[in-house]
Amino acid sequence: MSTRRTGGNIWSRIRRRIRAAREIYEGLYVAPYRAAIHREYLRERDLFFLIGFADLLGTPNPVAFYTLELYPDLIEQFHEWHLRMGMPHSPVDGFRCC
Amino acid sequence: MGDGTRFPDREIVFFGGKGGVGKTTLACGYALLAADRRRKTLLVSTDPAHSTGDMLETSLTDEPLEVVPNLWALEIDPEREADRYIQDVKQRLVESTAPRLLQEVERQIDIARVSPGAEEAALFDRFARILDETRGRYDRVVFDTAPTGHTVRLLSLPELMGAWMSGLISRRHKVNVLSRMWRNVAGAAAGDERPQTDPVLEALRKRKVRFEHARRTLTDATRVAFVFVVIPERLPIIETAKAVKLLKKYQVPVGGVVVNRVLPSEVQGDFLERRRHREQQYLHDIERTFAAFPIFYLPLGATDVLGVDALRKLVTQLPLDGRTT
Repeated sequence: MSTRRTGGNIWSRIRRRIRAAREIYEGLYVAPYRAAIHREYLRERDLFFLIGFADLLGTPNPVAFYTLELYPDLIEQFHEWHLRMGMPHSPVDGFRCC
Repeated sequence: MGDGTRFPDREIVFFGGKGGVGKTTLACGYALLAADRRRKTLLVSTDPAHSTGDMLETSLTDEPLEVVPNLWALEIDPEREADRYIQDVKQRLVESTAPRLLQEVERQIDIARVSPGAEEAALFDRFARILDETRGRYDRVVFDTAPTGHTVRLLSLPELMGAWMSGLISRRHKVNVLSRMWRNVAGAAAGDERPQTDPVLEALRKRKVRFEHARRTLTDATRVAFVFVVIPERLPIIETAKAVKLLKKYQVPVGGVVVNRVLPSEVQGDFLERRRHREQQYLHDIERTFAAFPIFYLPLGATDVLGVDALRKLVTQLPLDGRTT
């Protein structure tokens, strides 16, 4: 189907225009929500991290032993988190993931 | 003193009470009796300071060992259990973590291994698995428990931990919903497509199911009975009364109270008469305090109860056939 080369073909030009129009639309209307949703998503993710791994911050966590098994799935996200917070190294003593 | 009530005969029987009152003696004796009646029986010690093996004059491990025909016994080893779990987590880390992170994460996990609560959780884990896996494989599972506080805590964990897990699950669910929304509006900006099932949520749910299952079993009066052992002395009575209240709170069915080491009527002498006089008051206290439950009495013997034969002799005095003593 898409073996036609882009360029002079009228259909691909129309498609490009539509895509451009959609990007303008998204930029105007969806982008603000997108940022808000992203913020909310990250906030909720951090909150989960805090509740599940409160022991890392020195707060007793009765299920610390059971959330241990979640490390393998969450370690990359923890790394993202402190980078996002503007800290090149992990803020939690004893949890220097980098 | 017997009232014709039968001794609680359930699939799962716990023996608990204050330290030194004879929990191990009763648990071993009861398990032996069940095995002698051709019931495939598993005797489990949950006391980190095990004495079950010493009582049976054998050495037990973390895996069931046949002591006499039809009777298997094991002593839960929380340390080994915790190590096993840690190894498991580490193994999964090797598979899923970038090598640059691995060393530090492993260090963190070793810290968690020695943190307070780790062995308690490990012990509970093994305990829950035994409740799960023995069903249908044994006719009787008898628990020789740790002194009161420790055991009440163990039996309350399913409820406490279950609530915490529910909280984590609902938070995680919210994370996933927002993640999906973000992916829908972000398109390529959200990065690689994640798998449909969230491994974190799956792991949490699995835990929760296990807690719920343990709780359902422990509160099932048709399958479970908790038997308290007391001696006619002040502190054991008080401690046991408190424990009964706590088990009620957690809905663990209490099946009866065994009063151990009651002075036999044939022993005489001035000193013993005085002791007996005091004992009468305590026995009266016991009858009043535990009026809601069947009470069984075992006499103080002249010699220690130790080994299979002595145990058998002792527990034949319990009214398992509806006989009274």
